[in-house]
Amino acid sequence: MGKLFWRILGIAVGGIFVYAGMLKVLDPVQFGLDIDNYKMLPWFVSVRLAFYLPWLEILCGLAIILRVLYRGGLSILTLLVLVFIGATVAAKARGLDITCGCFGHASQHWSFAQHMAIDLVIFVALVALLWIEVIRGAHHDQKS
Amino acid sequence: MKFRAVREAIILIALASLPAIGHGFYFRDKVSWQSSIPAAELVTVEQARAWGDSATWVDARPDDEFAHDHVPGAFSLNEDRWNELLPQFLPNWLPGRKIVVYCNAQSCNAARDVAKRLRDEAQLQDVYVLQGGWEEWLKKK
Repeated sequence: MGKLFWRILGIAVGGIFVYAGMLKVLDPVQFGLDIDNYKMLPWFVSVRLAFYLPWLEILCGLAIILRVLYRGGLSILTLLVLVFIGATVAAKARGLDITCGCFGHASQHWSFAQHMAIDLVIFVALVALLWIEVIRGAHHDQKS
Repeated sequence: MKFRAVREAIILIALASLPAIGHGFYFRDKVSWQSSIPAAELVTVEQARAWGDSATWVDARPDDEFAHDHVPGAFSLNEDRWNELLPQFLPNWLPGRKIVVYCNAQSCNAARDVAKRLRDEAQLQDVYVLQGGWEEWLKKK
């Protein structure tokens, strides 16, 4: 698959995180409540994460789009999505009825299956982008 | 690749803290930083009892827990049966009465969520959440 495909994929994935981050920046208290609903962290941690994580998402999304600090952005977002999938599965297993707050109130009424499907697609896309970057890096090292 | 990714990640993590701190500073007076429920919306058992007949108690716990035991005179109003229970509750509320919502413990979010819905959807004022929840009521019984 050509460079163009991976570039478009990167812009799309980065754009998703910039969009999602901006939605959460607009209502950090609601995002704090969404994190609190997972019952994994005390409120004073949840509310501070609610102010920090959206900005991290936005910056990492921009890093992927602009290909500046690209590998760092990809790595952080891959890790974030992995942690988030784990937390969602754990919450579901505990019988908690949660809304992830991923896309603010736009995702409020998504079912668990819908959440998981979208998260897994994004995770696979991130892993694929990371993998391509690893391969490119290895080729570059061989040539030099 | 590994070390470059780590280096870049550290830079991004540090950079993200700048707008986050500014954002938090802007919201510093609008957010309850220690509790998910603002202090102004919390009421202790003693305070709620002191209100006497001017307080209406609302139990936000599931039906079976309400049926097992509840604050005398409390109305059951949980999110599972919100559309069915709210119309039953509203005729029992009078303007000027304070509403005290409780659930299982301070960590239970049901009381907070029911209180928020009473304010937002039913447009009720003077809605409070019982500090310590049902357990605190039992302790001070």
